[in-house]
Amino acid sequence: MPNRWDTAGTKRRIKRQAMENNDASSPERKLQCSDVSKCFQLLERILDGELVEGGPQLLQEKLDKCQPCFAHFHLEQAIREVIKTKCTKQPLPDKLAESIRQMIQDAR
Amino acid sequence: MSEVQRRKYSQEERSTIFDGEFMPHIDSMYNFAFRLTFDEDDAKDLVQDTYMKAFRFINSFEQGTNAKAWLFRILKNSFINDYRKKSKKPATVDYQEVETFYNSDDVDYQSTSDLRAESVRDMLGDEISNALNGLAVDFRTVIILADLEGFTYEEMAKILDIPIGTVRSRLHRARNLLKDTLKGYAQSMGYGRNEEED
Repeated sequence: MPNRWDTAGTKRRIKRQAMENNDASSPERKLQCSDVSKCFQLLERILDGELVEGGPQLLQEKLDKCQPCFAHFHLEQAIREVIKTKCTKQPLPDKLAESIRQMIQDAR
Repeated sequence: MSEVQRRKYSQEERSTIFDGEFMPHIDSMYNFAFRLTFDEDDAKDLVQDTYMKAFRFINSFEQGTNAKAWLFRILKNSFINDYRKKSKKPATVDYQEVETFYNSDDVDYQSTSDLRAESVRDMLGDEISNALNGLAVDFRTVIILADLEGFTYEEMAKILDIPIGTVRSRLHRARNLLKDTLKGYAQSMGYGRNEEED
């Protein structure tokens, strides 16, 4: 679809960008964000790989210049990461797949 | 996603679709079912029902489209129609209250200022799982779909039958609620606020 980003590619780009901006505190960043809700929701959409107009440049600017945005971005990134990697997976019960195939066979 | 019957698949085509496009998602389906019901038997029944329905309505599935999203939508609908009513942990959250409370700049700012990325990374899998499981089902669902299963907002909108704007705001609120719980864990582990900030 022309109107959508390649999500995996976008996420890789964002990760690279965030790593380059990984310096936790920078004198260049302002300590107050003037529009927390709007900024944070925008950052979350970017992290989720959604199409945001001017996304990469916007992200760069927020990470470089705003401490609350910087902190929020890295926190949100960490949460997504631990959910993906640490959440306990429930093992599939032994015979479930087999019994489903059997049910389908019987239904035919 | 349309329920309109497009064409009839032959018996062989049906087998190919079922085995090739539906069955590979069984692990994700079971995990989703378990996180909705918190019960192994209910999760098993839910997955079985979903696959039976998927087979019965296979003609409304367009080959080559997103089978996983199609299956998740059936599972979610089965859960709402058949299981939520008899669920052992019914949702008792007043959404209006939650939506109002979790929709302010204060909450947004606080949710970040008191929790650090490093302390989140130090948490155990059980803590993360428990925090997720503690969310009301609608909030839990959007986080599972987005973060565990990697669905896009557009796919989530179709799975949940809600507008994309609602996906976006529900996810944002869900993340704020989750951060609240994680913040509690972080404080109890002694990874609270940075001392310099106090």
